[in-house]
Amino acid sequence: MHLKPKVIWIDAIGCNGCSHSFFNLPYLSTLLEKLDILYHPLLESDEFKIQESDILVIEGALKDIKKFDSNLLTIIEKLFVNTKRVIALGSCASFGGMFGEGLIFNKEKLGKFYPCKNKVINLPGCPIHPEWLGYIFDMLIENKPILLDEENRPKEIYSFVSHSGCIRNEYFDWKVDSDDFGSKEGCLFYNQGCQGPFTHSSCNKILWNEVSSKPRAGTPCFGCTERNFPKENLFKTDTMMGIPSKIPLGVTKRAYLTLAGIAKSLKNERLEKRLFEYEKTNNKNRG
Amino acid sequence: MKKLITKIEGEATLQIQGDEVVEWVDIEFHQFRGIEKYLENKHYMDALVINPRVCGICGHSHLIATAKAIENAFEAELSDKAKYIRELTLNFEIIENHIKWFYITLFPTQIKDKKYLFKALQFSQKISQAIALIAGQYPHNSYAIPGGITSDITYLDLTKVKNILLELQKFENEIWDDFDLFFKNLPKETGKSNNRFLTKDLDISKVKEIQNNPYQNVTYDGLYYETGPLARMKKNIEFVYQEYEDSIYSRIYARVYEIFYLINKNIEIISLVDLSEKSYIKPKIISNKGYSIIEAPRGILIHEIEILNEKIKRYNIIVPTQFNLSNGTKENPSAAQKAMINERKEYLDTIFKCFDICAVCVGH
Repeated sequence: MHLKPKVIWIDAIGCNGCSHSFFNLPYLSTLLEKLDILYHPLLESDEFKIQESDILVIEGALKDIKKFDSNLLTIIEKLFVNTKRVIALGSCASFGGMFGEGLIFNKEKLGKFYPCKNKVINLPGCPIHPEWLGYIFDMLIENKPILLDEENRPKEIYSFVSHSGCIRNEYFDWKVDSDDFGSKEGCLFYNQGCQGPFTHSSCNKILWNEVSSKPRAGTPCFGCTERNFPKENLFKTDTMMGIPSKIPLGVTKRAYLTLAGIAKSLKNERLEKRLFEYEKTNNKNRG
Repeated sequence: MKKLITKIEGEATLQIQGDEVVEWVDIEFHQFRGIEKYLENKHYMDALVINPRVCGICGHSHLIATAKAIENAFEAELSDKAKYIRELTLNFEIIENHIKWFYITLFPTQIKDKKYLFKALQFSQKISQAIALIAGQYPHNSYAIPGGITSDITYLDLTKVKNILLELQKFENEIWDDFDLFFKNLPKETGKSNNRFLTKDLDISKVKEIQNNPYQNVTYDGLYYETGPLARMKKNIEFVYQEYEDSIYSRIYARVYEIFYLINKNIEIISLVDLSEKSYIKPKIISNKGYSIIEAPRGILIHEIEILNEKIKRYNIIVPTQFNLSNGTKENPSAAQKAMINERKEYLDTIFKCFDICAVCVGH
């Protein structure tokens, strides 16, 4: 690869959320110095034209629509054959998401570009985590091999589950569920629909905006990095006879239920009550 | 003449009549995703995850509008705490939007220098972080739900948020200096429009969507109005408005002014929040219609929902760019069209972009 890889970043059908998420990368300015951005939908660049590149970033899903006085699919095909590596950015480009089709995979079927899958790195997430993309760019700049899993996702990011590092893990371990929304206590896996234990991502390992994550803010993980995102009933846990129908990755249902039963029966008293409660303040005096 | 406009959260095409001076402009948007249809038959709570994905820059406004539309249908009760905290994060999104729009979208139409991009990002990353401290992440969180918020924030979190605000206050002089620099070679009277404004205290029955494939024009009582920061801040910047009316100068002044107006507002809100109140009050679920009207970064955002047996029967979204950038007629032009007519072509890009266009929102 060149000293400064040439990058074309094209927006397909989506919301530009991955671009805006990428703008939150703390070391963005030093990273951009190492890239030659030929086109980006928001950043200052020359006018779009079909040309060769080292890295092609496709943000958004594929659909047969008008784009730059041409057609989106035609443009992407031309860019695809004229580049060395393709980053399918976000869940839309990776799996189709809500609005169209993915590059090499769709929710169920394979994508149009599956025959060229060796060229593609899938970076699902809705939106993408800025540090995940920052890491991939850096690996490509340095020409280092990136380990990919069977869905072409970098193993260093997607071997973890969203649950890894969640501050509600104690509640998960001792089977203390959150009664309702708006509480710092309790696990969201049992009633609120949290998909953390079976979603491939490192959202609680590499925090969002360097400070938090959805489950930390009491919102369930919606499994936005998975092929079937978005599932229906995102705030409800799918159950079968009162038991979550999807269980943590890697264990049998029997093993999981045995351990869950023991944990629940042994009770962790500290976690059964609220950690602390505020007294009503005369907020006029605060500030 | 045809002009493709990019770097506006999507693209638009201007069909321009006239040689040196613009006689008429038709505005065309291309993208269409069909999110309203996508929502049908889904559980009403799913809209809280789907709708932020309408837009990567103002998705939080779509979240708040969704929660409020459902609350309107359920006649839900909210704690003051939940109301205050939501106001905080919505204001943060407006601030972040304005700063990015000013330096990344608008600035390059006059001054091309990468340092302004990094200035914007240095500022906007802090704002994203403040939202994340409250809502888990930015963009695309779903922490506002019918009945309140999912997070149970602490004074520890609020202290961090407050200190981010105090840091950002320090940028004020620098940004106003850049504002002056932007107008160095640009006539301040450029881009005067209809001089008609609309804010969220409107009568929703007068809002009408008119099909204009693939998107819809929006009129109010049969006419096109301007919505957004100038409409909201007109009274606060009366001295500027009196002199320049609704020109690009006033429009951009209002947006920059609103950044620091809202930073100060958020500092005040933090002093008012009482964290002993409930974050969430479970609403009673009923089959009903509801709507919400909020002020998003670019102006009025309307969401309408019809819920039947917990499922979405119908959903409708009207975004600010539809108001400002409708494709009207010569007799009844939209705010952006009127602003471009009789102006020199060299100013077209700046005039068009000063409305802060969101093409992805239009293509919902």
